[in-house]
Amino acid sequence: MVNTHMAQRDWRYYLNRGIIHFILLFAVLFYLLPLIVMVFTSFKTMDDIRAGNLISLPTEWVVDAWVKAWSSACTGVKCEGVEGYFWNSVAIVVPAVLISTAIGALNGYVLTKWRFRGSEIFFGFLLFGCFIPFQVVLLPMAQTLGWLGLANTTAGLVMVHVVYGMAFTTLFFRNFYVNIPDELVKAAHLDGAGFFTIFWRILLPISGPIIVVTIIWQTTQIWNDFLFGVVYGSGETQPITVALNNLVNTSTGVKEYNVHMAAAIIAGLPTLLVYVLAGKYFVRGLTAGSVKG
Amino acid sequence: MDAARPENATSSSPSLMQRLEHFIPKLVVAPTFIAMLVFIYGYILWNAVLSMTNSRFLPSYDFVGFKQYELLMDNDRWGVAVVNLILFGGLFILICLAIGVTLAILLDQKIRQEGAIRTIYLYPMSLSFIVTGTAWKWMLNPGLGLEKLVRDMGFENFEFDWIVDPDMAVYTLVIAAVWQSSGFVMAMFLAGLRGIDSSIIQAAQIDGASIPRIYWRIIVPALRPVFFSAFIILSHIAIKSFDLVMAMTGGGPGYQTDLPATFMYVHSFTRSQIGLGSASAMLMLGGVLALLIPYLYSELRGTKNG
Amino acid sequence: MAALDIEHVRKVFGGKTEVLKDINISIDDGEFLILVGPSGCGKSTLLNSIAGLEDITDGVIRIGGQDVSRKSPKDRDIAMVFQSYALYPSMNVRQNISFGLEIRKIPKEEINTEVDRVAKLLQIEHLLDRKPSQLSGGQRQRVAMGRALARKPAIYLFDEPLSNLDAKLRVEMRTEIKKLHQNLGTTIVYVTHDQIEAMTLADRIAVMKDGILQQFGSPQEIYDEPNNIFVAGFMGSPSMNFVPTPVQKEGGMLVAKLTTLEGTTFSLPLGDRGNVLGKYEGKQVILGVRPERISNVSADGNPEDSIVLKSKAGVVEPTGPDTLVHMNLNGIEVNCRVDPDYKVKTGDPLEVIMDLSKAVFFDKDTEARIV
Repeated sequence: MVNTHMAQRDWRYYLNRGIIHFILLFAVLFYLLPLIVMVFTSFKTMDDIRAGNLISLPTEWVVDAWVKAWSSACTGVKCEGVEGYFWNSVAIVVPAVLISTAIGALNGYVLTKWRFRGSEIFFGFLLFGCFIPFQVVLLPMAQTLGWLGLANTTAGLVMVHVVYGMAFTTLFFRNFYVNIPDELVKAAHLDGAGFFTIFWRILLPISGPIIVVTIIWQTTQIWNDFLFGVVYGSGETQPITVALNNLVNTSTGVKEYNVHMAAAIIAGLPTLLVYVLAGKYFVRGLTAGSVKG
Repeated sequence: MDAARPENATSSSPSLMQRLEHFIPKLVVAPTFIAMLVFIYGYILWNAVLSMTNSRFLPSYDFVGFKQYELLMDNDRWGVAVVNLILFGGLFILICLAIGVTLAILLDQKIRQEGAIRTIYLYPMSLSFIVTGTAWKWMLNPGLGLEKLVRDMGFENFEFDWIVDPDMAVYTLVIAAVWQSSGFVMAMFLAGLRGIDSSIIQAAQIDGASIPRIYWRIIVPALRPVFFSAFIILSHIAIKSFDLVMAMTGGGPGYQTDLPATFMYVHSFTRSQIGLGSASAMLMLGGVLALLIPYLYSELRGTKNG
Repeated sequence: MAALDIEHVRKVFGGKTEVLKDINISIDDGEFLILVGPSGCGKSTLLNSIAGLEDITDGVIRIGGQDVSRKSPKDRDIAMVFQSYALYPSMNVRQNISFGLEIRKIPKEEINTEVDRVAKLLQIEHLLDRKPSQLSGGQRQRVAMGRALARKPAIYLFDEPLSNLDAKLRVEMRTEIKKLHQNLGTTIVYVTHDQIEAMTLADRIAVMKDGILQQFGSPQEIYDEPNNIFVAGFMGSPSMNFVPTPVQKEGGMLVAKLTTLEGTTFSLPLGDRGNVLGKYEGKQVILGVRPERISNVSADGNPEDSIVLKSKAGVVEPTGPDTLVHMNLNGIEVNCRVDPDYKVKTGDPLEVIMDLSKAVFFDKDTEARIV
């Protein structure tokens, strides 16, 4: 931040401030517009939509589109709304996040406090897993899931998300634990604590922030996933992103934009809520996850 | 403490418990190690093998050498996808960087409500590209979207139908992707700005440099590492872009907005061209590596020097 | 009984770098051993090896006569105080102190009694419910010691425990540790790079450099009879003066020659030392003499075995209790420690007396002490 000298506060200073605020406000509108449009549209009737424009307020606020999106809109063959898919996503996200976070925590612990010959190389190779375009593993994984009888199952999707989330969770915990002094572990070791006691009693109690960061990151990633969902899920097990895409792009007949928007908001709401409630941790994960990963 | 354990340790054998203690850490990471070996490196190899076969609906193992790659090179649709990626990726990255650095600098001018503004800039990043795509698809709807909004404002002849225009549809992807990611780039630059040693700026002010000059000559160059990281992240997002295309255009009109990721998906899973699909995946991996290896190299060298 | 024996201990990193080279140290029960040396000398590695936090490549470590070389740290009957204190951040002071006892499955009442005893000993009773983040540096230091004391181990290990404290607190805690040692009669191994800490605290000092034990002995031995130039220079502040001097025969006596900047030459009679230094006749040796042994001529006459030097004063540095004056001998800046009442300015004529009774001589090539 450059300090503006008091003496410079003439009309030019106020003009500059005005321009700065104008640009920032314009950007605020740019980022908010789609959200406003989505909300307005979702509460309109189709007639209202045709009569008005994107940012005209609904003449009458109706929740019909929401009800339809949730329980009776057609997502491909079936017309049962996105409700079932919403819970599918929950059923995928919860176990996948918990398992991958637990694995990441233990890996991070070993890779910082119990290094062994080759552990750094191992981490390097694992890190690479954060970068690969997943297209390169799609086909072999599809076949493997088939062999394991996990194709088109929730368990299969959980497994895929755990496997390809591990690199990130490990990275998060490793970078956190690397800043915890080794002496803490040595002291506990001398106090007679073993591998798991040290983890459980010493490291885990101070891992709160990184656990939150990891859980938020993983939740967002897995909830928002489309690629694995569309390839490895079928009608019964598809996550909500796939259902939303089907609803919007494969439905025949009249396009019900209000229903589309309501469904989109439903699909986006959980991660949006996470962001609003724990934005600080979300940003931290984003930065840590993407700068290094 | 560092890993290196002394070699040829002397006798007086350790107890069973101790030896177990020694193995527990390795045991704990073993599942990850095996998963990594199989699901990342094994699969990459497997995919490489598939790309050398003439697999169609199901994987087969009739080797045809590099025929699939040759087919890919002659494939118009792949050509379109690659050109689109360059176009989409290039614009997406440039615009995101420009918007990101501009907003970050402006937001760093002691703005009241900075926190709230930052939150608004960044929220799109928490959404799925499918949600983003759905929203923008509606906004860009030729009949009822922005076109109508502007006409209602009095510009009767305004036309904005890029999303169905074969030549322009790819740019609508850029708009939506920029909307989603530029706030994040802003956050990266803002963090970078906050990390600059303020005494350097004070020194420049004492030297009599004007504020724009300080930004141009001192602050923006100091943000070089952020430009670099943001470039890597954004190009990574661009190469992997799949959801956004599927939600907004489905690759259409025709295959005018195909990207390598959608090309791979369509050929592998709907057009029964597994061989071709896996070959395209290999080329995507190659693209990522071409970006990543120089980046990692400079990162590692940086940490060694610093 | 020997509390700690270190016999022929070697440690090799990655098959190449030898960080400990054939270390032999033995101390008795209740002794305070200080491992001192510049950073990277291997002192911390040696301490970690005693603790069992690092494995040794060769040799034997015995605690209370028992070979613990291959034992896990928790079975070695030791406790350690770390440089960063390593207090468990999530636990309060009471839990920090009791953790080790709890792990060892000591009954609850016993733990409570023990924590109270230690807290009283260290005067931290009022801090027992606080978290480490709520403590000052000195308080953390006490808690860290309390954690070690609660276990009543055979040996306490201290890894530069005072280096994170400010200067004043460091001196206070130093005294406190000394008191604690005297009252409890514990065996302590203490690592520091601070030679003042080493001198004030130790019963025995082990000076290390480059993984080699340079000298092992009582503080006075180390100070007065250093094995080599490194030890002589490392211990004592300001450092010992090292002056290369030619050894000559003069009137049938062996003398060392000192020449001032003005060209005046003085002859130092070598006396008994002549027997040993005889073979250096016509060669150069290095004279080692501590600053406090070159002082102003006092009223109550000169000690035996001393010589008066006359020259000009160089830089004058008053420190309060005494004043350091530089002079030039054989082309080397030499520090003299004079009485603060001895008023002298740069350029003034300087008359000092060099006490030769504690002077030492080193071989120029091997740097080992000759006599």
